[in-house]
Order: sequence, then C-alpha cells, then structure tokens
Amino acid sequence: MSASALTASPRTISSPRADDDVAGPSVIARSSHPAVPRWASLLGVLALWQVASVTKLLPIDLLAPPSTIATTGWRLARSGELGSALLVSSGRIALGLLFGVTAGVTLGLLSGLSRWGDALLDPPVQALRTLPHLGLVPLFILWFGIDETPKVLLIAMGVAFPLYLSIHSGVRQSDPKLLEASQVLGFTHVQRVWHVSLPSALPHALVGLRQGLGMAWLSLIVAEQVNSSSGLGFMINNARDFLQTDVVVVGLVVYAVLGLLTDAAVRQIERRALSWQGAQR
Amino acid sequence: MTRAPSQTPAIDLRGVTKSYGEGPVLDNLDLDIAAGQVVALLGRSGSGKSTLLRLLAGLDHGVTGAVTVAGTVSVAFQEPRLLPWRRVWRNVVLGLNAPEDSRQSALAALEQVDLSELADRWPLTLSGGQAQRVSLARALARRPDVLLLDEPFGALDALTRSSMHALLRRLFAEHRPTTLLVTHDVDEALAIADRVLVLRDGRVRSDLLVPEISTHDPMRRQALRTTILDALGVTPDERD
Repeated sequence: MSASALTASPRTISSPRADDDVAGPSVIARSSHPAVPRWASLLGVLALWQVASVTKLLPIDLLAPPSTIATTGWRLARSGELGSALLVSSGRIALGLLFGVTAGVTLGLLSGLSRWGDALLDPPVQALRTLPHLGLVPLFILWFGIDETPKVLLIAMGVAFPLYLSIHSGVRQSDPKLLEASQVLGFTHVQRVWHVSLPSALPHALVGLRQGLGMAWLSLIVAEQVNSSSGLGFMINNARDFLQTDVVVVGLVVYAVLGLLTDAAVRQIERRALSWQGAQR
Repeated sequence: MTRAPSQTPAIDLRGVTKSYGEGPVLDNLDLDIAAGQVVALLGRSGSGKSTLLRLLAGLDHGVTGAVTVAGTVSVAFQEPRLLPWRRVWRNVVLGLNAPEDSRQSALAALEQVDLSELADRWPLTLSGGQAQRVSLARALARRPDVLLLDEPFGALDALTRSSMHALLRRLFAEHRPTTLLVTHDVDEALAIADRVLVLRDGRVRSDLLVPEISTHDPMRRQALRTTILDALGVTPDERD
C-alpha cells in the first residue's frame, strides 16, 4: 500500500514507471487465480452430458440431454403450463410462509422475552422440533386429507422451527451490558424491547429465516410429490409416468431458481436492516 | 473554581454493607457528598469501588444500611455501551421523554463534546475516544443531578485521555452535577476532582480535599499523590 503512495507523484512525471507499478499487483493476482473463468468447468460438464446423450451413452429415458431440457423448458413456458404450475406452487409457499413466519416469530418472541413464555412454550416446541417434520406426512394425510391443508402446514412447520429457534436464542443473547445501560437511561419496558432486545435478535432471526426458507421449499417438494393434482410437483410426477425426463429436470431447475430468488430476497433485507453492521468492515 | 459545598448532601450513605459470599465488599460505609462536588473514588481492584457505583446507579440491590441519592442519576460506563443499531444522535436521546425536537437536543448535547458532525454516523464507525464522548453526551443530555462515571477513560490512550480530562473540567464548570468518578489512576483523580476518596477493603481509608492550587503547584501535587498512594497501600517500589 505504501508503495503506491510513494509512486503517486513520480507517475505524473514518467508514465512508464507508473505502468510498471500498476502491472505489479495484477501479476500477483493472476498467479494466485487460474486464468479459466469459474463457469467454464460448468459449461464443460454440460457439454460432456450433451455428448453422452447424443452418443446414446446416457439413455434419454434416464436423463434427457441439456438441449432437449432447454427447448422443453421454453415450450412449457410458452404454453403457459409452467406458469400455472408455478403459480399454484408459489401460492402454497406464500401461504405456508405466512402461517409459519407468524407462528415462528410470535412463539420465538413470547418465549424469548418472557420467563413464563420460556417456561411454558420452549419445552414443547423443542420436543416437537426433534421430530423430522417431513415424517409427519402420513399423519397429516390422515388428519387433513390430500388437498391444500397438509401441504401448507408442512411448509409452515418447515419455516416456523428454524425461525423460532433463532429468535428465541437471539433475544436471549441480548448484551447484558446494553440492557443494563438501558436501565440506567430510564428506558421503559417497551423501549427496552424495541431498542435493545429486538435489534439484538434481528441478525439471528434473518439467518433463521434463510434456513427456514430452505426447509419450506423442501417441504413443498415433498408435499407435492406425495399427492397433488396441480403445481410443479404434479407436473414432475405426471412427466415421470410418461418417462419425460426433460420435464422432470425443468421442474427441478424451476424449484432451484425459486429457492435462489427467495434467498436473495432475504439477503437484500439483511443488507438493508443490518447496514449498521456493515459500517464497521 | 472552588465550590461552596451546600449543606444538603446529594449522596448520603449510612452504614452500608454489601457482601458477596465471603466477606463484605462494602463494610459499614458512611459517606456524604455535597451537591456539585466532584469526587474521585480510588481503589485497587476488589476494593468495592465499582460495587459502590453500581449501588448508587440503582443496578445493585441487597445491601443493608441507608442509601440516599438526591435527584436524577446518569451513568457513563467504562465501555461506551452505545446501541450499535441506532444512529449516534438517537443514542444520545433514547430514553429521554422528549420526543418532539429530540434531534435538536441530541445535536446540542453532541455540540458540547464537539461531535455534532458525527450525529448521523453508526456507533461502530467511531473511534474509542469518540464513542466515549458520545456516551458522555448521552449522560449529560439527561441533565443529571448526579453523574456517575465508572472508569470511563480506562480503555483510551494517554493523549485522548488528557483531552477528555480537559473536556470534563469544562463540562463540570457548565453543568455542575454532583459527580462520582471511579478510577484507578491517581493523576486522573487529581486532574479532575475536588475531593479524593480512597476505598480499601470496603471502607473509606482516606478522604482528601484537592485544593485548586495543587494543580499548579508541583510540590503540593506530589505530596498529595504520595498521601493517596500510601492510602491505597501501594509500596514504594511499586511506584513509578
């Protein structure tokens, strides 16, 4: 760093020297970083896959080639089939998130902020959380049938537990020194919660939300595999019956893209809500 | 700036005892501090000085004896303890019950510590000395009758510390709060206080007035320093 400061004035006098100095750091950067861009290997895998399919090394019944998957994706998108499936699945996710986030946040705050809440709520929630919630599918079908209710509930459970845990521990981990300071500053109880406990819990809560979203998508996929007459899962299951591996892969890719989109949305919230943290870096 | 100590004590302790398990931390302590007086409380670690401050701040309970603190109390801690997720100016006025033009009062408080230009910064972007000045502004914005300072400059470098001492003297001259400054630094005590208390084993071992003249008279100052170090129980070969 000091070298660039030293060459700052000579650079205006003799440009060749300045050029030498500019080249210095980039050479170092190049030697530690391979010249190949990171997406090149991915492209290579796709090319190998395509070649394997064309040469019949990889039977199309097992896995369609990338070119077919791309054209099928385009066809499904244009016909509106993909759009309506997407709409149904997104609706399930949205409803599940609404219930799950509400439950996770409410229970997390109740047990985090109040000793009574902690004593009464935390043990049963912790016990429930040890159950693999996707294993509840048979019971849910018995209880709620095979329509939307069990799917939305599974998604809600997927997001609620990680969110509950992160908020509960986030509130509990509020810095005791800040709580003490808020006491001598004369904060009311409400002010203490609003200005100390909740902001302390927020970074934890957002990590929990991202984990929860991952679980929510997984729950949707499982729920739609089990039984559905619409949505992405239905499209995939239907395609399986007709050995349309291209449609199956299109469905999987759409799931992946949706997952990435919701994750990016939470990252965006993080960037805005936690800008006070970024300031120190 | 010799203060005429008024007759009503702002802080009054009678027979205060506090114990944590083995032995008392504060042992039948009697103390009164006149309104407007600036008192430095010196003591080695474990002498009970922080316990005393926490007691006066209302953070410590379960003592025997009578504790009277007149008026509103503000505390500045060793660490600034700013809320990292609130802007500097919000930190200064949070908890005050003056929601209207609170930004104005925050700026006025920050002006007093020469930091009004940092009002919109996040606390984590401040230097240690700046954060500590914000903490001081926050304590003073409450217009306290009693100001408690718990080693507020312990973590600062020597240069920053001496400029903080000058700032404090200026602020005291303006606000005249009754002040109790907990410190382990004898020179800091002599630089700021009107009166020095030495606490040892939960009792006041020494209670000295610091005449203003001693700040200009090196001989008097050295004599006071020696007296205080003796009271602290610092042996001659421990001195610098």
